[in-house]
Amino acid sequence: MSAPRERAAPATGEPATRRRFLTWLSRAFLGLWGLGAAGVVGAYLRAPEHREKVAGHLVSAGLLDDFKIGEGRLVRHGVSPFYVVRLDAERVVALSAVCTHVRCIVDFDRERRVLVCPCHDGRFDLAGNVLSGPPPRALPTYAVSVRAGEIFVHL
Amino acid sequence: MSATRPPDPNGRASWVDWLERRINLSEIFSFLTHFGFVITPVDTSRPVREVLREVAETPVPKYASGPRVLGLLTAILFALEAVTGVLLAYYYKPTPEAAFESTRTIVRDLPAGWFLHQMHAWGAWLLAAVVVIRLLRLFWDGLYRAPREVLWWTAVAMVWLVLQLDFTGRLLTWDAHSYWATVRGMEVVFALPIAGPILAFLLGGRVVNDDVLIRFYALHVMVLPTFYAACVYFTFATLRRVGLSPAPEGRPEATTTFRDHLYTMLMLTVGLFGVLVTLATVLPFRFLSAADPYVTPGGVRPPWYMLAPYATLQWLPVPAWL
Repeated sequence: MSAPRERAAPATGEPATRRRFLTWLSRAFLGLWGLGAAGVVGAYLRAPEHREKVAGHLVSAGLLDDFKIGEGRLVRHGVSPFYVVRLDAERVVALSAVCTHVRCIVDFDRERRVLVCPCHDGRFDLAGNVLSGPPPRALPTYAVSVRAGEIFVHL
Repeated sequence: MSATRPPDPNGRASWVDWLERRINLSEIFSFLTHFGFVITPVDTSRPVREVLREVAETPVPKYASGPRVLGLLTAILFALEAVTGVLLAYYYKPTPEAAFESTRTIVRDLPAGWFLHQMHAWGAWLLAAVVVIRLLRLFWDGLYRAPREVLWWTAVAMVWLVLQLDFTGRLLTWDAHSYWATVRGMEVVFALPIAGPILAFLLGGRVVNDDVLIRFYALHVMVLPTFYAACVYFTFATLRRVGLSPAPEGRPEATTTFRDHLYTMLMLTVGLFGVLVTLATVLPFRFLSAADPYVTPGGVRPPWYMLAPYATLQWLPVPAWL
């Protein structure tokens, strides 16, 4: 590979074999070298996970008496924010605030009782169903329980 | 594959042919020759395979050896610094609160982070040594004369840029040593007549704080490397025009093919890598506790290339008013 031209024409078969072996050896060495460098860089680049664990948690959304009837509040919970809406005296629903289209945070329209996505005007009812617009799926809903006047959402 | 196209002489029909029917690869390749990397004109109307084969067989002077290797090393070491520097910048946070913490995360917690940190530091050390030795060699051999003035001035600029890169990079780790070395360095900068106050204004003030840190960071990762890369370009492009430095007295010019030259360069890089790995592993730079602006640790000394003036200053009887 690196040998000058003059020595490039071996008369017998043996030097050619040796040459091929040396070429193979240097290529293997360089390959290993590159592999090691790639491994080091790859290990370094793998970003440390900062994601919060959200599954299987009970999240408190405040006292039931603090919610007026028809009021909805955004709970800024890690990577899965959600809305808590008080429908009437007893019923409270919780549903994801992350639009299923391109992950924008939806707004709560108290007058019409719908969730409106500001990005592409996707609309959801308070059961999470898509009313109009581009969202492909319904919003996930979460179970809600009220214990001693405090609202808990089962994520 | 198209049947009208003549088959490749090696019998390999590959993605290169596929791409070549869509883009002029020879044109793209000839772009590299503008940087002086390939020392031959390229006929861009011919297929890239032929061009590459011709380039590989082009005789070139054997310049990856002897004192000429210094110029090559300034480029290779800079490439290494760029790669490790980008990797370090992925995790580094240039604020006084987070600078030390993020550097410690790199050095202590991330896999191979200490290795990249030390490679970057030792690469900088070697680069400083190489550009200084190169400048001395150009001076010694009288290679500043016409028509090589551009080479000389870029060599001077490269020394200055590397020292500034070293100075700005030193602060970024924000440990006790780097902080106080910078405080002292800044005092030297401000002592310059006329230029001192201007530099102080540009660098963000006399006190080493968050303003200075973010400016040093911007200079270190954007401004100075850009100028250095421009210097590398000027060096190679001018070399193409004026030719390599003459061979040593009484020795004929050894020539080799471009293929062999590339191979030598690859081996040079591998060897350099080995030297750096050894230095980084056996003699790691120390990384002290976080900088405290109210506590100066003992034993703060300037970097090695400043030790001679430093010792001279200590030895000279300096009048009190100076």
